[in-house]
Amino acid sequence: MSNQPIQPIVEFSHISMQFPGVLANDDVSLSIMPGEVFALVGENGAGKSTLMNILFGINTPSAGTITVKGKTYKSLTSAQAIGLGIGMVHQHFMLVPSFSVAQNIVLGDEPQRGILYDLREAKRITEKLVAEYGLEVPPDEPVKNLSVGLQQRVEILKTLHRGAEILILDEPTAVLTPQETDELFDVIRGIVRDRGMTVIIITHKLGEVMAISNRVGVLRHGRLAGVYETADVDERKLASLMVGKDVLLGLLERNQREQPIPEEPAISVRNLTVRDNRGLEAVRGMSFDVHRGEIVGIAGVEGNGQSELVEAVTGMRAIRDGEVYVFGKKINRLSPGKIRKLGLSHVPEDRLATGVAAQADITENLVIGKHRRWPFSVLRVHMRGGPARRYARKLSGEFDIRSAGVGTEVGSLSGGNMQKVVVAREFSFDTQALVIAQPTRGVDIGATDFFHQRIMDKRNQGCAILLVSADLDELYRLSDRMLTVYEGRITGEFDPATAPREEVGRCMMGADQAQDSKTTVNEASDG
Amino acid sequence: MKWKERGIYLLSLLISIVLGLGVGALLMLATGHDPIEGYTAMVNGALGSKWDADTILKNSELGNTLYRSTLLIITGLATAVASDAGLFNVGGQGQMCLGALVGAYLGAELTTILPFTAGWPVWLLIVVCFLAATLAGAIYALIPALMKVRLNISEVVSTILLNSVALTFCTYMSNGPLKAQGKGTQTAAILKDLEFTRFFKPSNLSQAVFIAAGMALVVWYLMSRTTFGYEMRMAGRNSRFAKFSGLKASTLAVTGMVISGALCGALGMLEVFGWKHRYAVDLSTDFYWDGMLVAMIMRYKPLGIILMSFFFGILKSGAIRMQSSTGISPELIQVIQAIIIFFMAAEQGMILRFRTWRARRHPQHEEVISA
Amino acid sequence: MNAFQFSDLISFSSLMSTLGTATIVILAGLGCLMTEKAGMMNIGLDGIITGSGFVAAVVSWAADSWALGLLAALATGLILGLFYGVMVIRLKSDEFVIGVTLNMFLIALSTFLYRSLPAEANGLHVTEGTGMPIPKISLSMGSSNPINISILVPVALILVAVCQVFLYRTRHGFWLRAAGEHPESLQSVGRSPAKMKYMASLACGAFCGMAGAYLLNYVDGFSEGFSASRGYIAVACVIFGRSNPLLVTLAALFFGLVDTVGQRLQVFGVVDSNLTAAFPYAGTILMMIVLAVYNKARKPKRKAETAEAVK
Repeated sequence: MSNQPIQPIVEFSHISMQFPGVLANDDVSLSIMPGEVFALVGENGAGKSTLMNILFGINTPSAGTITVKGKTYKSLTSAQAIGLGIGMVHQHFMLVPSFSVAQNIVLGDEPQRGILYDLREAKRITEKLVAEYGLEVPPDEPVKNLSVGLQQRVEILKTLHRGAEILILDEPTAVLTPQETDELFDVIRGIVRDRGMTVIIITHKLGEVMAISNRVGVLRHGRLAGVYETADVDERKLASLMVGKDVLLGLLERNQREQPIPEEPAISVRNLTVRDNRGLEAVRGMSFDVHRGEIVGIAGVEGNGQSELVEAVTGMRAIRDGEVYVFGKKINRLSPGKIRKLGLSHVPEDRLATGVAAQADITENLVIGKHRRWPFSVLRVHMRGGPARRYARKLSGEFDIRSAGVGTEVGSLSGGNMQKVVVAREFSFDTQALVIAQPTRGVDIGATDFFHQRIMDKRNQGCAILLVSADLDELYRLSDRMLTVYEGRITGEFDPATAPREEVGRCMMGADQAQDSKTTVNEASDG
Repeated sequence: MKWKERGIYLLSLLISIVLGLGVGALLMLATGHDPIEGYTAMVNGALGSKWDADTILKNSELGNTLYRSTLLIITGLATAVASDAGLFNVGGQGQMCLGALVGAYLGAELTTILPFTAGWPVWLLIVVCFLAATLAGAIYALIPALMKVRLNISEVVSTILLNSVALTFCTYMSNGPLKAQGKGTQTAAILKDLEFTRFFKPSNLSQAVFIAAGMALVVWYLMSRTTFGYEMRMAGRNSRFAKFSGLKASTLAVTGMVISGALCGALGMLEVFGWKHRYAVDLSTDFYWDGMLVAMIMRYKPLGIILMSFFFGILKSGAIRMQSSTGISPELIQVIQAIIIFFMAAEQGMILRFRTWRARRHPQHEEVISA
Repeated sequence: MNAFQFSDLISFSSLMSTLGTATIVILAGLGCLMTEKAGMMNIGLDGIITGSGFVAAVVSWAADSWALGLLAALATGLILGLFYGVMVIRLKSDEFVIGVTLNMFLIALSTFLYRSLPAEANGLHVTEGTGMPIPKISLSMGSSNPINISILVPVALILVAVCQVFLYRTRHGFWLRAAGEHPESLQSVGRSPAKMKYMASLACGAFCGMAGAYLLNYVDGFSEGFSASRGYIAVACVIFGRSNPLLVTLAALFFGLVDTVGQRLQVFGVVDSNLTAAFPYAGTILMMIVLAVYNKARKPKRKAETAEAVK
């Protein structure tokens, strides 16, 4: 893989992108060479995706030009971009859920037979692609039934079918296991080597940058902070470039438990079985305990029952079989409100859908759950606005919620600030148990550190915490114990201080835990 | 920020109203009427000429305008309550019809079918009729609400269809089982004692207006100053969030709809007791739509609805005079209302487009939004 | 007066009558279905039907030509469809609000204009068969009397098939559905979802325009608010026809059947006419409930089966 600069295949020249109220890209000039793997890194909101969306014709830049294969454009349309051999695999897949794999692959470019769409030909095309690239997918299956990894494969095939020479991958590993990530990287190396493709990969996982890229560009606040040969930089250097100051996630202060583990666990899950929205068993006979003063991390590829587990424990989903106890009380048939009263708070994984009312203001979102108490209401009926607003201001200060005021609609806040609203509310209940799902998804490094600190503080105060995350680093950093789940079953239990990542990854893929790496487990593996 | 948004909103509302009236004027011109003459007749017809202390109580035009405004306020609030709870009550007309029918029936027959009530004081009889009508409206709103939360059937469609069912049912009842002897399609008159006193004679305004004002006050308080109103609003905005936060989301949604229906049912009864004194097919219940439009224009804000209702009350009651003196059909008012809604609905999109355009033109005009 | 016999309900003429009433709902339903598939369900059908019906009445009366009337109805429908599209797609207004307002606006406007018409336009007012003489075809079966139906009835049935083929067997149909289900994916392959949405919204306008012309012909003349919530019935049919053209048609036929049964019962004096008028609405509601309950009971099982099959 040489990247002898003959002529850049893509050249951004003084690109600026103005959204209403936000300058997402600010005078970015950048060249991509043919046949290289170029990593584009930066925090959330640094403008990585915007820049790539400009190349792919989704955004029209406010200023600047793009040169692709020697021709200069003020802006591109998606159709033009595709015509130029640019393909993009988006972070949120661009697949129509109810269409089959084949129908998705040929979407927009369907084979015709007379005036009708030749469905059989579509299938044939797919089979040919599968054979050619060795990326196995079931052509007739509706995409919605596929795993995330397979869907990503469909996306890649889709771009290859369009004759892509430049492949943009937007956060491709966010939803993959370590093993799936390795497979993806093998595919990338293959297409670069064998077909001379150019790959641009957007990521914020610095380890992956080191592993796959030839060169790396760093974006910060919409500006280009530097472009380097990957061999010339290390992770620390990249991280400081990304955030603009020399911070790396350091160690958190973790109190050693003084007293022995109390007899009664705060959260106790016994042979739990839960069905998902499709009526399938998503959680199949899980058992574990969470004690006060410990963080139990659930590691697994998304869609292996974690969401359903969290919903069952918090009362948002019916329990099919088995039991869940919160502070000794069985909660199988209790509503979320009743479970909250037992002393359990919950930071949900999808904050926009579950964690906030986006059209309501910050005060309304912070005061819920306490609104029937003095001083927010008189006799549980009459609402008092003043105390609620003062309280919201106080919490905003404590949790560093940045807004134009507590009357601001929550929906207009950035992802990180919205999450702060959720965390501020949930952490301010007087509870001794917390269920936290994906706390730092879509949140930048600075805020991530803040949330981690808060979670650790809660643990150190003696709170029992069940933490579900797709981010293995996060689990390693916070957990006292880690459980891996696969297809609704617990496949292993690890001590993050000692557990090797490969072993954890294997268990996330369904392998049973090797005997020698087993810690003391109180699991029931069957259901 | 908030004040700025409100300013923009009020400005666009004003522009929309002007444009709506402008289109109305064009329509008058197109159909061969003089818009100035039309609108003058409308204003005169709405406000009357007797404004000095001695004669104001005889200003029946003003009385009718107040009466119209009251109807709009209650129906507008009814729409708003349901919409706060996340449901769109398009079935107010049917709920009102049933309330009116029940009210009229009991008003005429209560002492006959339940002889022990014969000795009751008038106010108690009125309360019984009022509650029964309220209940009728509430139950009729409960059906689509349950269909929505249990079976996820669009309440817009179901309430519309239930409207038709209620209307035909009431027509059937007043032309069949409850038909008054020797009359057209109408029920027997309510007892003379139960009729509300009217003032601003010969307008339709009666004591009912005080009850209506009381209802409006209660609903306003409930919606904007109580924990219940707050919970309902949260459930309406994001029911999953409400459930997650420990509220009974679907119960709240159903309650909002039921309150909405109860208001409509009560209003139907007030119309009967204050004005028609019987259920008849020409009882005007279609103004629910007007109230709904007012609520939509004011984005379901109670105070805004109350204020805007007076404006549309003037248009509605003036339209009748406009028709009699210039021959312009009163449907014009609904046309104007709808145009105002179209403009208001498009407003946000237009502002957004304008901002994008401006930002592209002058990137230095970068507005710093909340982080 | 003949005695009522149940067998009278099951006859060729009943069938034709069912088809006759259902056609309005089928046409409007197809229009609604297109917008639903494109992710912007238009519930302003009643308004478009009434508006285009009114224009058709005026034009066919003034030009004394049913063909021009039909064309005028289609044109009106297209314009209104475009309006809906601009409001919802370009200006991002709420589709429910626009739909409901569109209904009120057009029903009020057509009533207003109708009353402002000169006296000699009285032909529109009465039901003297001056509505719009769309050619009819005569059908007969066995010994029964031949029955005349409008040519729009078979046209509507052909359109059902056309929609079915369009949505599931042509690329534009796939794009239209993609635009509704996941517009970004269509965008990302260089096809414009907005274009598809406009197409759907125009199609909806045209279908409702045709429904308006047909209704004018069917009830022999324009009257105030003459669509009588049939548009909402079409919306209901789309909902429980799960947006499939054939199922929607079946639902519309069911509506037509209920309506016909109501009329027959009324003719024989079994049930009061004011009560039978409620039949189609009440029947539609009941059907919605029954289907929803049925689906609710069946859904988890069926989904589980397909999902298991994948694994």
